[in-house]
Amino acid sequence: MSAVRERNSSAWLLPPRPGVDHGLRKDMRRFEDQDEVDIAIVGCGAGGSTMLQRLARAGWTAVGFDAGPFWDPERDWVSDEAGSHHLYWTEPRVIDGTDPVPLGSNNSGRGVGGSMVHFAGYTPRFHPSDFHTFTADGVGADWPIGYSDLRSFYEDIEEELPVAGEAWPWGDPHKYTYRPHPVSGNGEIFLRGAFASGITAKVGPVAIANGRFGNRPHCIYRGFCLQGCKVNAKASPLITHIPDALAHGAEVRADSMVTRIGFDERTGKATGVHYVRAGVERFQRARIVAVAGYSIETPRLLLNSANARFPEGMCNDFDQVGRYLMVQGAPQTAGRFAAEVRMYKAPPPEVSTEQFYETDPSKPYKRGFSIQTVSPLPITWAEHVMAQGHWGAELRRYMSDYPHWACLGALCEFLPLAENRVSLSEEKDRHGLPVAKFSYSQCENDQQLLKAAQSVMERILTAAGAEETMTVKRYAHLVGGARMAADEHHGVVDSSCRSFAIPNLYITDGSVLPTQGSANPALTIMALAARTAAILVKGD
Amino acid sequence: MSLPLSPRDGGERYPGFSSVDESDHWDRATQGAVLVRLGLPPDIRFFTAREEAVARALFDQLLDQHSDPRVPVVNMVDSRLAEAETDGWRYADLPEDGQAWRETLAALDQDATERHGQGFPEVTLDQQASLLRAVQDLGYAKWHGMTAARVWSLWTRYACTAFYSHPWAWDEIGFPGPAYPRGYKNLGLDRLEPFEVRDARPAQDPAANAGGDG
Ligand SMILES: Cc1cc2nc3c(=O)[nH]c(=O)nc-3n(C[C@H](O)[C@H](O)[C@H](O)COP(=O)(O)OP(=O)(O)OC[C@H]3O[C@@H](n4cnc5c(N)ncnc54)[C@H](O)[C@@H]3O)c2cc1C
Ligand code: SF4
Repeated sequence: MSAVRERNSSAWLLPPRPGVDHGLRKDMRRFEDQDEVDIAIVGCGAGGSTMLQRLARAGWTAVGFDAGPFWDPERDWVSDEAGSHHLYWTEPRVIDGTDPVPLGSNNSGRGVGGSMVHFAGYTPRFHPSDFHTFTADGVGADWPIGYSDLRSFYEDIEEELPVAGEAWPWGDPHKYTYRPHPVSGNGEIFLRGAFASGITAKVGPVAIANGRFGNRPHCIYRGFCLQGCKVNAKASPLITHIPDALAHGAEVRADSMVTRIGFDERTGKATGVHYVRAGVERFQRARIVAVAGYSIETPRLLLNSANARFPEGMCNDFDQVGRYLMVQGAPQTAGRFAAEVRMYKAPPPEVSTEQFYETDPSKPYKRGFSIQTVSPLPITWAEHVMAQGHWGAELRRYMSDYPHWACLGALCEFLPLAENRVSLSEEKDRHGLPVAKFSYSQCENDQQLLKAAQSVMERILTAAGAEETMTVKRYAHLVGGARMAADEHHGVVDSSCRSFAIPNLYITDGSVLPTQGSANPALTIMALAARTAAILVKGD
Repeated sequence: MSLPLSPRDGGERYPGFSSVDESDHWDRATQGAVLVRLGLPPDIRFFTAREEAVARALFDQLLDQHSDPRVPVVNMVDSRLAEAETDGWRYADLPEDGQAWRETLAALDQDATERHGQGFPEVTLDQQASLLRAVQDLGYAKWHGMTAARVWSLWTRYACTAFYSHPWAWDEIGFPGPAYPRGYKNLGLDRLEPFEVRDARPAQDPAANAGGDG
């Protein structure tokens, strides 16, 4: 453990009780707008916070901007579904296409910690095959890097979150430092059904401490992971990377919406970021700019940063910005049991299988899906029931049966398609900036995966003894939109996440992913950001 | 406190269970957010009087609330709309949520008037239900120029978020609500905490036996 602490002491900097260290925040270093800092990072989520911590540790002067607040979990977060609305990015966005993807609560966060504040907590790695799906299967894209380029960064981040789970047999087989958590009724059902139907399922991997980690306590199995963990048991950059960044002289500038990236036409370089704080427009000078605002806001910021050199949007000479945005098809299938499952108890992420992750040559579709426990709380569960067409007396009758239901979710690897993209809408936000319009349509392969995943979930639940199943179609996990590629005709950034168009502009969030596998993306986003930081530090 | 719901429709399955009875065990921020829902409902600020009447009838139908006490869904939704607390997205073919509510309530009222010569709140409960079923059955076809399924999604999303955020609704479904800082100790099938109440009619599978074995 000492190695982790030497690399990142966040867990030891937190107070030995719930809440966050106000001392570190009060004493935080503050830069002046006219100081030219080494790096200005837009967004303090998964990618941005990891960069901030790594670079601050390396002695860089670094400021992380976030449009949302610097959370105080004790005061700001509640153990309640409806009361957690403020955790999501709820500024206006328009959704379109033949299969529009709802955003908000389902898809992106705001504030220091980013979407991981309310992420479920699953932290699987990508498989080695994810990095060359085009060569192997003729679908998706090849990354300009391979799994081996990320492996050591996966290991580092897994120790820092830290991740708990059983030894992992899929992809590149590996182990976790922390033992798997005990499972609740929902996890029990999954394990039982998987066993009965000849499917291998494992407990984990989740970024939830099992046992004490630094000053972070053990999980209390209260089940509100998607509402922000007040206990400090579940990882989010707010507690896993920001404390160490602050202790090393980084500044977090919260409530500061970056509106445009500064650019000098003479040098062809980024000069800093324009941002609005408390209604005042300001400009922070920086030697390097890194954008990490999530797959919707990152492309939107680049498009809104159009100038004479980049009339169609910054880094958009080849019409790549905003394209190849992906979501995972995330249908959820629930099963009814005579026993009381009470799926709201324990963290929703418990058990998963990656047995169907890879291309199966006997199937008509390419690539695959994973299956995991999900445990909707009442409001989300009511939406599940209503999606079956039930309302009125029928809805109430179904809802009264809540304790008897178990619920699984699949993550299907939808393919990256050029037309699935963010563009700018006519509508403006309160800063007068055009809002993002996100169009999404599925392809044939996507639809086949959805069907296959649903039938496997039904098989598992039925094998576990379900009397009835019902499925709702959902989406999860946006990535892509400014993808990494071999050259500027196929993507926005190179293999080190540096933009092709501007030598001192980096993109370090989920936007750079060329494909998504059927793994949840946060661990990979953090590992990629840690790798980019290492490259920057080495080259400095 | 329990809402009126007959055993046939899923009422009284968790006898004596009360989530609010445990509120001493909730943290203060959560107490503040949840207990306010039990107080005097906020005044209507967003809906016009007519919109309020149509919305009230719509929510009573969607959530089967036909007698008092009721969860004040219309006030809760009105308050969200007054504060522009949207979900952070809208469909390209619908206006922003507030305007979408105004337009869809007016359209529903118009349907009732065209079919029955009276507005939506004034027609019988059965007539209201069949007007709603007609919208639901349209699926992805257009209704007053809007995709019906998206209108349905708007109505039901707001309705469910309000209703199932209320402790009385939790009592009816056996959900204890907030769980911090206490957490749960008894994980696993059929393992309950001392404050959870076992289902009195576990065989009342709503699907297998619609109508129940009450
Ligand atoms: C309900 C839910 C459950 C999830 N569960 C999982 C899971 O179990 N496992 C998993 O791996 N992933 C999960 N995810 C997804 C995961 O949280 C995200 O993929 C990941 O956090 C994205 O990282 P990011 O760095 O791209 O962006 P984020 O972490 O979202 O960070 C972006 C940050 O940038 C800020 N920002 C944006 N624009 C600007 C601007 N212009 N100026 C200043 N700041 C700005 C935002 O406020 C935000 O804080 C889940 C997501 C949701 C919504
Ligand atoms: S279940 Fe555990 S990790 Fe999730 S919110 Fe509760 S304490 Fe945190």
